[in-house]
Amino acid sequence: MTERSSPQSLAVPGKAALAAPPPASLQPARGASEATREYLVFEVAGDRMALPLGAVKEILKLSPITAVPRAAHDVLGILSVRGRITTVLCLRARLALPPPEVSTRSARILLVDRGTEIIGVRVDAVSEVLRLRPSEIEAADVIGAGLAEHVTGIGRPGGQQGQVVVLLDPVALLR
Amino acid sequence: MSDEADRVRDEFLAESQEIVESLSRDLLLLDHGQKHGRADPDLVNSVFRGVHTLKGIAGMFGYRELSETAHVLEDLLDHLRLGRVALAQSSLDVLFEGVEVLQRLLGAIRGESHEVDLASFRRGASGLVGQSAAPAADPLAAYDLDPSMLGVLTEYEEHRLRTNAEQRVPLYRVRVRFALSSIDTDLDALKARLKPAAEILTYLPSVEGSGDDAIELEVLLASSTPLAELRVLVGDSPVEPIPMREGPSRTMPPPPLGASPTGTIAGSIAPVLSRAPVSDEGRELVPSRDAGAEAIAVRAVAKTVRVDIAKLDHLMNVIGELGIVRSAVGRVLDRLGARADLRPISSELHRIHRSFERHLEALQDGVLDVRMVPLGQTFDRLARAVRQVAREHDKEVRLVVNGGDTEIDKLIVEELIDPMLHLIRNAVGHGIESREQRARMGKDPTGIIALNAYQKGNHVVIEVEDDGAGIDPQRVLARAVERHLVDLGAARELDDQAIKQLVFLPGFSTADQVTDLSGRGVGLDVVRTNIGRLGGVIDLHSTTGIGTKFTLTLPITLAILSALVMRVGSHTFAIPLTVVQEALFLEPRSIRVVDGRELITLRGQSLPVVRLTELFRLGEPTRQRGYVVVTSLGQRRLGIVVDALEGQQDIVTKPLGPSLQNVRGFAGATDLGDQRVVLVLDAPALLDEVLSSDPRVSAGAA
Repeated sequence: MTERSSPQSLAVPGKAALAAPPPASLQPARGASEATREYLVFEVAGDRMALPLGAVKEILKLSPITAVPRAAHDVLGILSVRGRITTVLCLRARLALPPPEVSTRSARILLVDRGTEIIGVRVDAVSEVLRLRPSEIEAADVIGAGLAEHVTGIGRPGGQQGQVVVLLDPVALLR
Repeated sequence: MSDEADRVRDEFLAESQEIVESLSRDLLLLDHGQKHGRADPDLVNSVFRGVHTLKGIAGMFGYRELSETAHVLEDLLDHLRLGRVALAQSSLDVLFEGVEVLQRLLGAIRGESHEVDLASFRRGASGLVGQSAAPAADPLAAYDLDPSMLGVLTEYEEHRLRTNAEQRVPLYRVRVRFALSSIDTDLDALKARLKPAAEILTYLPSVEGSGDDAIELEVLLASSTPLAELRVLVGDSPVEPIPMREGPSRTMPPPPLGASPTGTIAGSIAPVLSRAPVSDEGRELVPSRDAGAEAIAVRAVAKTVRVDIAKLDHLMNVIGELGIVRSAVGRVLDRLGARADLRPISSELHRIHRSFERHLEALQDGVLDVRMVPLGQTFDRLARAVRQVAREHDKEVRLVVNGGDTEIDKLIVEELIDPMLHLIRNAVGHGIESREQRARMGKDPTGIIALNAYQKGNHVVIEVEDDGAGIDPQRVLARAVERHLVDLGAARELDDQAIKQLVFLPGFSTADQVTDLSGRGVGLDVVRTNIGRLGGVIDLHSTTGIGTKFTLTLPITLAILSALVMRVGSHTFAIPLTVVQEALFLEPRSIRVVDGRELITLRGQSLPVVRLTELFRLGEPTRQRGYVVVTSLGQRRLGIVVDALEGQQDIVTKPLGPSLQNVRGFAGATDLGDQRVVLVLDAPALLDEVLSSDPRVSAGAA
C-alpha cells in the first residue's frame, strides 16, 4: 500500500498553485542520496496529517460550496473547478473529528486523486511540503494494530525530536 | 498505447455496427419484397457487399468468430445471388438469424455478455447451401441470344438473365456511346434513369463505336416497360428489342453456355451483342456493376465523419463556458451603461455583444444538430425484432412505422433500444392474439403494431401501439393483489385506468407462462426506470379487445436545457423547463391534506404537492407563502413548492461525481455563471419517488 504512490510522487518539481512555497530547510541538502518521499502536510482539528504530494492535484482557497441535500454527512457539497463538478468532503467529518467553529481564512480545499475521481477535501490549513526518508517513516504494519486503514504510517522528520505527522492513504481515505 | 487500442476497437465496432444496421434494413426490404413477389436483386447484392466488407474488417482486426460467421453468411448470400438457393421465407429466416448472430458477436466484443449461438445459424446456412436447387429447364432458349455473349457473362449476370427469361420479360439491346472522360458519371446517370423501368443485365464494350476518346457499350436490358417509354428514358441511343422465339423453339435443348454458336437459326436475326474480341485495356475502361456501386458507397462515406459523442459533450461544455463569459460581459456592459461619459464605447461594445450572442446561439444550435439522429435507424432494428418474435410466436404481425425521420439526441437513441425492444416483445407476445382468436373475434388475422414518432415542443413522443387483446383490468388487479403490490382495500378504490398503471410496479408480470422472448424476468418497471433515466416518462392506454398503446415522452436532447431557477430558503435549484407546465402563486389556504398528503385543486383536478424543504430535509422553516411549480411528465403531475422563482436560464447539466451517484433526486449540477453552482432536479425521479410512495395517489393522478 505504501508503494502505491511512490514512483509518481518523486517527480513533482514544478508543482503549481501551492499556497506556501516549501520552506528553505527542506531543499535537498542532507541525505539527498537516500530515496525520499514528498508529502503535503496540513492541519485538521489541531493534528498534523499528510498526503503523498503526487496525489494532491491542486490547492484551492475556500470558495462558496453548494450543499447537496441527501448526501452523506461528510459531504460539504459541490464546486465547479473549471467547469467540472467536484464533490467536496470535510476531512473533520470524515475522520469523526469535531466540526470547525467558524471557517477560517486559512482553510483550503485539496483536490485529491482517489483513482476514480478527483475529490475536494477541506482541511483547516496547509502547512508545508515535507520530504521523508524511509528511516523517518514508521510504517503502519510495523506499528501494528489500532490504526485506521487509511493511515499508512507515522512520519517523524528529524528523528524523535520532530513533530509527528499522520500519513494518509488517499484511496483508502476517500473510498 | 491501450488508449490507442481502445480507439481502434471502438472505431471497428462503430463501423461494424453501421454495416449490421444497414444489413438488417436491406433484409427487411427484401423480406417485404419477397412477400409481394418483387424482391429487388440489388438488395441481395447490397447485403452481400456489406457482409463481405464486414468479413474483411473483422479478419483484419482478428475477430475470428465474427469473420467466420460473416463468411458463412456471405457464402449463403452468394448462392442466393446466383439463384442456387431460392429467396424464400425460410432462407430469409436464416439470413435474419445470421445478422442477429453478427449483432450478438459485436455485443460480445463490446463486453456485453451475450450467449452467441453460432451452431444453429451454421446448421441453417449449410442446410440451405447443401440443398441448392438443381437447374431447371433452360428458359434462355426462348430468346435469340448470341451464344458468344452468353459465354462472357459472369455467373451472377447469367442468373439474372435466366430469372428474367423465366418470367419471359422482354429483352432489349441498347448501344450507348460514352465519352471516356465522363463515362463513370454518365453510366451511373443512365443506370439511375433506367433503374425504375428496366434491369441492366450486362454491358460490354462494342468494337465498332469505340474510338480514342469515346467508347460504345452494348447494354442488355430486361424490361416490361413499353418500348416507346424505354426509348424516352434511354435518350438518343437506339433500343432494339430482342425477338422471342415462338412455340417449339422453347423445347429445344439449350445451347451449352460458352460453346460455339450452334443453336441459332443462321442469318435470321442479327446476332445480339456480337462480341468482338476486346483488348484488355478496353475492358478495364468499363467499370463493373459492383465497382460502380462501391464507388458510390465510398463517396457517400467520404462526406461523413464519425465522431465520438464525448467530443460533442466537450464542445457543449465549452459553449456552456462561453455562455458564462457572455453573461459576465453583459454585467460589465450594465456597469458601463451607467457612465454617461463612456456612452460611445458602451454602445459599441453592446453591438459586439449582441453579435457574439447571435453567433454563440448558432454555434449551440449547430452542435446540438450534430447530436441528432433520426429514429428511423432504431425503428429498423425494432422491425427486425417484430418479424423474429412474430415468427417464433407463430403470429401474423404487420409493422407500420410513422415518423421515422423524427430526430432525437444520439445518446437517447442508444438507451432507447432496450426499452423499446421490451415493449415490442410485449406487444407481439402478449398483445396480439393468435390467428384463430383474431378470426373468432372478427379481426384481421394479421395483427398490426404501429410505431409512431413525432415532435411535440421540446419532446419527442414515441408510441408503440398494437391492435391486440388489450389489458384486462381484472387480471391485472388479481395479479397485483396476489403479489401484494396493493392491498384489497386500496384496490377497490382504483378505476380501470388506474389499475392498468399497476403493471409498471416492480415485481409485476402478467405473463402466465414465462416465454423466452417476452418474459425474461424483466418487467415494465425496468422499462419505466430506463425511460426515466433519460428524463422521459411512459404512459399506458389500453382498451380491452381493441388494443394497447404505450406512449414514451422523451426530451429531444440531454445536452442543453432551458431551466427554471428557483429558491428554497438559502438553497437554489434548477428544474428543466421541459417538465414545467406552469408556476402558480401558492394560496396557503388552498392546501388540503388527504391521507397525510398535501393536495391543491388546479382547474378542478387534484394536484399532489411536495415541499422541497421537507422532501430534502433542508431544515428551514416552511414559509406560508410561496410558489407551486407544476411539473408534468406524460400523464403524471406534481406540484413542487418553493419560496421564490428566480427566472429562466439555459443550462448545461453536468453530472455529479461518482461519489454522489447514489444521491437520489438530482440530474446533475450546472454553473449559473455568477460563480454559483446549482443542483438540477431530476424531475422524473422526484415524480416517481413522491407519487409512487403510495400507489393510490400515483394512480389517481393518472
